[in-house]
Amino acid sequence: MSFRNIWPMSALPLILLACHGARAADNTSELDYYQDFPVVLSASRLYQPQSEAPNAMTVIDRKMIVASGFRTIPDLFKLVPGMYVSYYKGSQAFVSYHGATDQYARRMQVMIDGRSVYLPPVSMVSWANLPITVDDIERIEVIRGPSAASHGANSTQGVISIITRDAGAATGRRVSVTRGSKGINDVSARFGSAGEKFDYRMTLAYTADNGYDDLTTNPNNISGGVSLLNNSHDSNQARLLNYRADYHPNSADRFDLQFGFNHDVQGVGFNDRNPSPIFPTLTNANTLHDLFSNSGFLQLGWIRLLENNAELNVRYSHLRQDQHESLSYFESGTFVPGPILQYLKTARDEVEAQHTLPLSVSNRLVYGAAYRADHINAQGSIPLAPPVYASSFNTNEYRVFAHDEWRITPQLLLNTGAMFERNGMGHERTSPRVALNFHFTPRHTLRMGTSVAYRTPSLVEERYPIDRYLALRALYPARASAMRLLYLPGALFVSSKSVTSPNLRPEKMVSQEIGYLGEFPDWATSLDLRVFRDQLNDGIYIASTNVFTNGMSAVYNGLETTLKHSFDKGGELTVNFAHELASSNGPALLASGQRTFRPARPEIADILSGSTPRNSASLLYSQRVADTFSFSTAYYYQDSMQPFDRGFLDYQPIQRRVDVRIAKEFRDTGSIKGEVALVVQNLFDQGYTEYIANNLFNRRGYVTLTVNW
Amino acid sequence: MRVLLGAICLLCLAELSWAAEALRVSVVLSDSNAPYQTFAKSFQQNLPAGIHVHVLERPEDFSGDAQDTDLVVTVGVKAAELVSANTRLPILAAMIPSSKYAELSEKHARPLSAIFIDQPWARQISLLQAALPGHHKVSVLHSSDTRTDITGLRKKLTERGYKPVFKALRSNATLYADLEEAMENSDVLFAIPDNAIYNSGNIRNILLSTYRRRIPLIGLSQAYVNAGALYAIFSTPEQLAAQSSKAAVAFAKSAKLSEPQYPELYTIAVNQEVARTLGLNISSAELLHMQVEQASGGTR
Repeated sequence: MSFRNIWPMSALPLILLACHGARAADNTSELDYYQDFPVVLSASRLYQPQSEAPNAMTVIDRKMIVASGFRTIPDLFKLVPGMYVSYYKGSQAFVSYHGATDQYARRMQVMIDGRSVYLPPVSMVSWANLPITVDDIERIEVIRGPSAASHGANSTQGVISIITRDAGAATGRRVSVTRGSKGINDVSARFGSAGEKFDYRMTLAYTADNGYDDLTTNPNNISGGVSLLNNSHDSNQARLLNYRADYHPNSADRFDLQFGFNHDVQGVGFNDRNPSPIFPTLTNANTLHDLFSNSGFLQLGWIRLLENNAELNVRYSHLRQDQHESLSYFESGTFVPGPILQYLKTARDEVEAQHTLPLSVSNRLVYGAAYRADHINAQGSIPLAPPVYASSFNTNEYRVFAHDEWRITPQLLLNTGAMFERNGMGHERTSPRVALNFHFTPRHTLRMGTSVAYRTPSLVEERYPIDRYLALRALYPARASAMRLLYLPGALFVSSKSVTSPNLRPEKMVSQEIGYLGEFPDWATSLDLRVFRDQLNDGIYIASTNVFTNGMSAVYNGLETTLKHSFDKGGELTVNFAHELASSNGPALLASGQRTFRPARPEIADILSGSTPRNSASLLYSQRVADTFSFSTAYYYQDSMQPFDRGFLDYQPIQRRVDVRIAKEFRDTGSIKGEVALVVQNLFDQGYTEYIANNLFNRRGYVTLTVNW
Repeated sequence: MRVLLGAICLLCLAELSWAAEALRVSVVLSDSNAPYQTFAKSFQQNLPAGIHVHVLERPEDFSGDAQDTDLVVTVGVKAAELVSANTRLPILAAMIPSSKYAELSEKHARPLSAIFIDQPWARQISLLQAALPGHHKVSVLHSSDTRTDITGLRKKLTERGYKPVFKALRSNATLYADLEEAMENSDVLFAIPDNAIYNSGNIRNILLSTYRRRIPLIGLSQAYVNAGALYAIFSTPEQLAAQSSKAAVAFAKSAKLSEPQYPELYTIAVNQEVARTLGLNISSAELLHMQVEQASGGTR
């Protein structure tokens, strides 16, 4: 008698039943058909299709991220029509829409997994300090145009929503090493696991590069001695980790836990203001030095599935960023070992609750409320009297919002929504939006929409430390010209302790657009086209009295398009194009004595118009050759422009750049898989300069080796 | 709305004339859970008076030499296995996979017929053609020792112009890696009954993986569609019970078991919300049902 047969027959089914979860594969039964499953793709999991979005939306997915070859997040936005991506220093990116801004791109909302990382207290997104790598990103949705109704304040130009990989989307282990020219040196390790009730992933990474190339000849054919030469000190080293866990103990509840940390060291400062034999008495309060940043976050989310596909979503997040710097300086030609010491600490706590409620088969309401508290603590010291200046305060804001999606008929979708907010300065504003999407056939959609959004005045604008300058000038009248630089030294912004521009109101953007989305399956092509008119009112600028004030108005008219085409042999092409015209009341303000609006070049009458590239385009093509070999190439174009607040030296001529990526996968190596990829950026070495002319971008290349097991 | 039920056209069995002598049927359920109870209730409701039904909720309680039984209707695999090993009475094995029928009929010699739970490949492919006409790269992930007739599936898919990718699971630990590989050159993932892969512990991450790649999953039941599969074609316990009643009536008349049958009645469910977010323009469940009926000329 075999061992198997000693079991009484009647016991066998019990054993089978007990082992149901791990049954041998050949035991298919009716249970495969009648087993119960939890709802996985619930409302919060499902992406909104572009044809149903109330705004123009560009999606950058993983395939595009890989094909682009980019190793920093801001560069990815070069793949969005009408987006301006540039750098103040090698790692201080700013991303804006509707042309250049100053170094603080204040009008875009940026979110990571729903958590706003735009810090109004410091008026910017610290891209280099985000505790995620490009490889942690699953997808990016960029809303072109204001979207306050669903994304909160500060989305006057648009919203960047970064969605990181799910906790369960990175199973196994992965190590990646990148080496390249210009000091490019990245290492990352990632591991994770997906289980029945608990998934997690973790990334540890080090990224480093030496920033831009040194400008060694005059930029833009400008003759004469140019101080910007050999002026780039903009290396960056970041050490970061992030962790994401998803706990789903039952079919109704899901808990999301995330935390991350980034320690970053950036080379900052400029040496062109150092005293020289030609200019022996210069003052430089921002000499070459390092800026140290520690930033971290914690996010807790709870999603509960309710009856009838309703959902409750509660999220809490805590963000903090501590930065400090120490530098010596030159005052009127004299070296002062100093040092100047500055630190800037910001922290944020935010809680948001949202209820998604299907009212009927064709109508869904999303509403909720959020509360946010920001804390700022900044201090500087300088070997002058008074030696210490500091600023410490809290702001609190709340908002309530509601958004309704009503499918009036299968062809007609009406999106209406509004947000009411009370910002940190006590301003109360309501931002409404309405959009109608008409699917005149299932594959062709026309969209018409209008929306209003407001931007809270930033810390730089509200508490510009002009009082510190006036105090220093009064104390040292003979050294007034040096004080003009010493009151705001280094790279960190230590605001005034009191409000110096007390009458500021939020900026207002009114946007109108008509969009078309078409799919042409016979040609494997899709087209996204829109024309828009965005009107900025109450725009904030620095007046000649050194006080920030409302009063700038601007109109942006433009056309944007994205075309996607799939070729027979697996090639994928994306082409983006934007044509934009901007005009403002800058010339009138200049005539009334506002020097901010003085053009840097004689041919430019309106500085806003001059800082908006008339045409810009990008093209990305990727192709899989054979089974394990892939090739992609990208082309970027931007018309010439004069950055808004820069001098004539910083004129940006036409930018053209070609990048290529080739990769070879290794699969047939047992359980270990790998890939070697070579990326060459600016292949034809069409050296161009960025926002500041000493940011010269020459050809660079890097090789990445990735191993998965 | 997420769920659209396909037409459930119940046959009007009452119209069948009843001339045979009284038949004694033992219905043996695999378990006392909902699908089996529903089957038992529905089976009895569909029978004419004169057929006596005795329901056993535990297959262990069935006695192989039952003198008071003319026909045993087993419901589910467990009942079919136990009963077929213990009796020489004629058996109608309802709600079992076609692969299991082949195994049972080889093992024991006795009159045995079946009402399968799985849909014929041809019907499933007709639905695939109707629902996703542009999708030709079908991937199928399966255990290496699966009993499901994947050779038949591959053959049928190829015949109908598809480019199927079959990927065998290397081990439980490599599920997600194998899934990713299976989906690499595919535009739809076709689920087959395979508990090592499609179980309640894995379904969440399988669905999330397919959704990340924007690849629809074709499921096996309403539960798959509720969870996030694009659509499923399946037979409910009521539908299988109606067909089983019909087979029992036929047996009462002829004293012979009919040939094993695939389900005559089936339901199609579509998750329109998932379709929309994947950018797929998919017909309603009712329309798809009509198209499948037309394409397969009725039941096959």
